[in-house]
Amino acid sequence: MTQFIESIVAFFEVAIKFAPKFLPAVGLTLQLSVLSILLGTLFGLLVTLLKLTRLKLLESITNVYISIVRGTPLLLQLYFIYFGLPKLGLEFDSFTSAVIGLAFHSGAYISEIFRGAINAVHYGQEEAGKAIGLNRFQIFYYIILPQAVKQAIPALGNQFIIAVKDSSLASVITITETMLIARQFVAATYNPFPILFVAGCYYYIIITLLSAVLRRVERRLQVNER
Amino acid sequence: MNDKVVLKISNLHKYFGELEVLKGVNLEVYEGEVISIIGGSGSGKSTLLRCINGLERKNEGDIIYEGEAVKRDFTKLRERIGMVFQHFYLFPHRKIIDNITLGPRVVKRTEKEEANQQAYKLLEKVGLADKSDVYPAMLSGGQKQRVAIARALAMNPDIMLFDEPTSALDPELVGEVLLVIQQLAKEGMTMLIVTHEMGFAREVSDRVIFVNNGQIAEMGTPEEIFENPKDEDLKRFIQSIY
Ligand SMILES: Nc1ncnc2c1ncn2[C@@H]1O[C@H](COP(=O)(O)OP(=O)(O)OP(=O)(O)O)[C@@H](O)[C@H]1O
Ligand SMILES: [Mg+2]
Repeated sequence: MTQFIESIVAFFEVAIKFAPKFLPAVGLTLQLSVLSILLGTLFGLLVTLLKLTRLKLLESITNVYISIVRGTPLLLQLYFIYFGLPKLGLEFDSFTSAVIGLAFHSGAYISEIFRGAINAVHYGQEEAGKAIGLNRFQIFYYIILPQAVKQAIPALGNQFIIAVKDSSLASVITITETMLIARQFVAATYNPFPILFVAGCYYYIIITLLSAVLRRVERRLQVNER
Repeated sequence: MNDKVVLKISNLHKYFGELEVLKGVNLEVYEGEVISIIGGSGSGKSTLLRCINGLERKNEGDIIYEGEAVKRDFTKLRERIGMVFQHFYLFPHRKIIDNITLGPRVVKRTEKEEANQQAYKLLEKVGLADKSDVYPAMLSGGQKQRVAIARALAMNPDIMLFDEPTSALDPELVGEVLLVIQQLAKEGMTMLIVTHEMGFAREVSDRVIFVNNGQIAEMGTPEEIFENPKDEDLKRFIQSIY
C-alpha cells in the first residue's frame, strides 16, 4: 500500500517537474494549430469558391487537390513538402513547411465541409433571392454563405480539433512541438508515463478550450433558429 | 385596370427533358389586371409563372415586358416583377425587417434608414408592425406569407406573381393572406395568381385562366369560367372542386 502511494507521489513529482518545460513546445503546437486552422479555413473557402464558378478547369484542379490530400497520409505530405520540394527548387524552413502542409491538408477537408453545407441550404433560398432581383454573387454572399457557415460549424469544429492533433506530425520534420519534446524527455528520463501524461493534459486542455469557444459560437449563431 | 399591356407572353414552350410542359402559351397582361390561374396538378401552372421571371429557362417563345423582349438575363426584370412562393422561403438568418430590406438595400442601394421606414410601412400594411425584430422561425405560416408579400412589395414591383400562396397554410390562416392580396388588388396591383381557392379567384380576378396539358385551355371572366365553362376538362375540374 505505501509502495503504491509512493509510486503515485513519484509520478506526480516527475509530472510537475516537467510540466513547465513543455511550455515552449506547447506554444509551437498552438501556433501550428492556429495557423493551420486559419489558413486552412481561408484556403478551404477559396477552393469552395473556385468550385462554385462551375468552370471545368478550376473544378478539375480542385478535385485533384482534394483527392490527393484525402488519398495520401498527412505524414507523407509533410515529408514531401520538407524533403521533396527542395529538390524541385522550392525550399521552406521547417515551420513554414509544417504550416503549409497542415493548412493544405485541413483546407481540403474544410472545403468539403463548406461544399456540403452550401448544398444543404434549401434551393428555395436561392429562388427567393433571385425573385427580389439579387444576382448570383449577392445571393451567395447575403443568403447562402451565412446559412452554410452556421450549418458547417459543428463539422468545422471537429476538423479544427483534428488540426490540433495533426500538428503533432510536424515533429517528423524537426519541429520541437509537444509530442517531440515529450519523446525527448522520455528518452532522457526513461520514465514515459508521467511525461506522456503531461503531454496528454496539454492537448486535452487546448482541445477543451477550443470546443468551448466553438460551442459558444454555435449557440450565438443559433439564437434565431427558435 | 386599363388597356396598356405590361406583359406579353408569346408562344412560350418549356421542356423538362423529353417532357413538354408548356406547349405554346400566349397571354397579354393588362396594367392593373388580376389574373387567376387554375388547373389540375401537373398541368404547368407553376412552370408558366416561373418562366415569366426566368426561374425556369424557357425553351422557345418570348417574355415581353413593356414592349421589350427579355434576353438572357432576367435579373433586371425580377426587380420589376415580385414573386411569392407556396413555401414562403423567408431568409431564416435575417430578422423580418432585414428580410424585407435586403432587396432594396442590395439591389437598389437604398439607404438603411429609408429602407427601414419603407419596410415598417409595408409591415403595417400586412398587419405585422410588431414583428419587425423577430426571426422568421417565430412566425406562423400565415404571418410568414404576409412577410413574404411585404418583401416582394419592397422592390416596388409593377407585377406580382403568386404561386399557390395559401396552399401550405392551415385553413384558419388562409383568410389573413387572401385579405392582403385582395387589398393589393384594390390598389390596382397587376397580379398573376396560381390558386386552388376558387371562391377567392372568383371574387378577386378580372380574368381566370384554365391551364390544361401545358396550354391555356380556356380564358375568361370569372362568370364565364365558373358559371359557363365550355372546355370539357374545365367542366370536370370545376365539378371536382364544388
Ligand atoms: N424541375 C423539374 N424537372 C422535371 N420536371 C418538372 C420540374 N418541374 C416541374 N416538372 C414537371 O412539369 C409538369 C408541370 O409542373 P408544374 O409544377 O408546372 O405543375 P402545376 O400545374 O404547378 O402543378 P401543382 O398544382 O401540383 O403545383 C409536371 O409534370 C411536373 O412533374
Ligand atoms: Mg405548382
